[in-house]
Amino acid sequence: MTLLELDHLVVRYGQAVAVDGISLTVGAGERVALIGPNGAGKTSVLNAVCGVVRPAAGRVRIDGRDLTGATPAAVVRRGISQVPEGRHVFATLPVEANLLLGAYGRVFSLEIVSSTLRYVRSRREVRERLDRVYELLPKLHELRDRPAGRTSGGEQQMVAIGRALMAEPRLLAIDELSLGLAPVLVQQLAEFLLRLNEQGVAILLVDQSASLAFSLCERAYVLETGRVVLEGPSGDLAGRSEVRSAYLGGASGGPS
Amino acid sequence: MTTFFQLVVVGISTGSVFAIVGMSLVLVYRATGIVNFAQGVFAVLAGLLTYSLGKHMSLPLAAVLATLVTAVVATLVAVVAVGIRGRTTHLASLIITVGIAILAEAVLLAAFGEVPRSYSAVSDRAWDIGGVLVQPQYAVLTVVALAAAVGLTLFLRHTIVGQALVASADSPRAAELIGLNLRSVAVIAFAVAGALTAIGGVLLAPTVPVAYSSGLSITINGFAAAVVGGLASIRLALLGGYALGVVEQLVIGYVDPQYNLIIALVVMLVLIGWRSRGELAV
Repeated sequence: MTLLELDHLVVRYGQAVAVDGISLTVGAGERVALIGPNGAGKTSVLNAVCGVVRPAAGRVRIDGRDLTGATPAAVVRRGISQVPEGRHVFATLPVEANLLLGAYGRVFSLEIVSSTLRYVRSRREVRERLDRVYELLPKLHELRDRPAGRTSGGEQQMVAIGRALMAEPRLLAIDELSLGLAPVLVQQLAEFLLRLNEQGVAILLVDQSASLAFSLCERAYVLETGRVVLEGPSGDLAGRSEVRSAYLGGASGGPS
Repeated sequence: MTTFFQLVVVGISTGSVFAIVGMSLVLVYRATGIVNFAQGVFAVLAGLLTYSLGKHMSLPLAAVLATLVTAVVATLVAVVAVGIRGRTTHLASLIITVGIAILAEAVLLAAFGEVPRSYSAVSDRAWDIGGVLVQPQYAVLTVVALAAAVGLTLFLRHTIVGQALVASADSPRAAELIGLNLRSVAVIAFAVAGALTAIGGVLLAPTVPVAYSSGLSITINGFAAAVVGGLASIRLALLGGYALGVVEQLVIGYVDPQYNLIIALVVMLVLIGWRSRGELAV
């Protein structure tokens, strides 16, 4: 079944149209990329999916169920977690607290007492999940007591990914994985995402780097000024001349 | 010399109240980014409620009830200040709390009258330490302020609810994305801070009578204490409260009692001016 389906989604900020009728799907366990220049509406698509902005028109469906305009908490509980652009770690809290909050956020509701009890009761399960995240990202275990704001950019990206994983998502939406990171770090994170995907977690990658998107994802959508202008398997798109000239800097790139 | 020590002792006692209010302001600011200018009202409300309820029941029971009622009022203030959808800007929220503080004076005047109220302290007998009189109430205030500082620090650092409050201030966007509800977070912060300030007010009234109009000066003194740590540090708000209390008493004793509130304002303005190049952006 289709995990995530966007149906003619429109996002407006006042008069400005950021997303102009985009339709796309992500299947369970799939790896899909959204690429396009700055201002193409990529982040707005993710924000509409995650409940941060309310779409002006169109539908967001998760497992076929309508979640248009749902709260971020409801989307997290349905199994979609976002790693925001610029990481946004909780800077003054230790790395481990950042991770645990990912699990707490998933059970959080308006009623604090009951949601905290729910979290405390699932303490052992949360601990096991934490150990799994530490196993996947051993670096985080080393850094667990350090304030997240005092770690490097790559480490913060790991914290943000680990925090999202603590909510046990079926789909991880990542906004600008490569932004501001050294290529070797991006390569490591990409390999990590592939391993994660093998365990069944679907990936929706938003990135300005088309070469990263094509090498990591099976399918891609190319966005321009709020519309999908091209879509298809990464291999096909990477071969098209208009994509090569616009996003891959001429002859370089392509799927590895 | 005895006068000096006497003033210091009284200063630490009143400073404890500034510290308690200051730490409450820090808690709310750290969790929500809002400076709550109605914070001092909670101390007044709790003090006047304890006085009124105390006529019908034992004083300790009245104090506990007054604290609980004040915490509930604080959650209502949170909902009004943050907005039903939790999307009011911080500046708008701040102005709303100023409005609530002004409105509250009128409500308190109508409900409790204009006479400043006081009631008996934990004990009437003062300890005489080398000529310096120490009221047991002073000791209670100081211990409560210290306990609150330790408790709040542990709460924010080591409990998941406290960490959720800090997280919401560190990055509201990420806090929302992991599923935290910013309005719930604000309500917890206001309720805990409201209860703490209420305890301060309940303990203050036996040493300094409180009236409907006392809220503003309590807020200003608490704010001056909190600004010492840039509104971000519980520990520095505690130290700021003590320092401010002592300095104010020394000026009252040696210079002129009228300068009382001016000192807090001067401290506040100097610190804000000094810090505004750096992290503090109120």
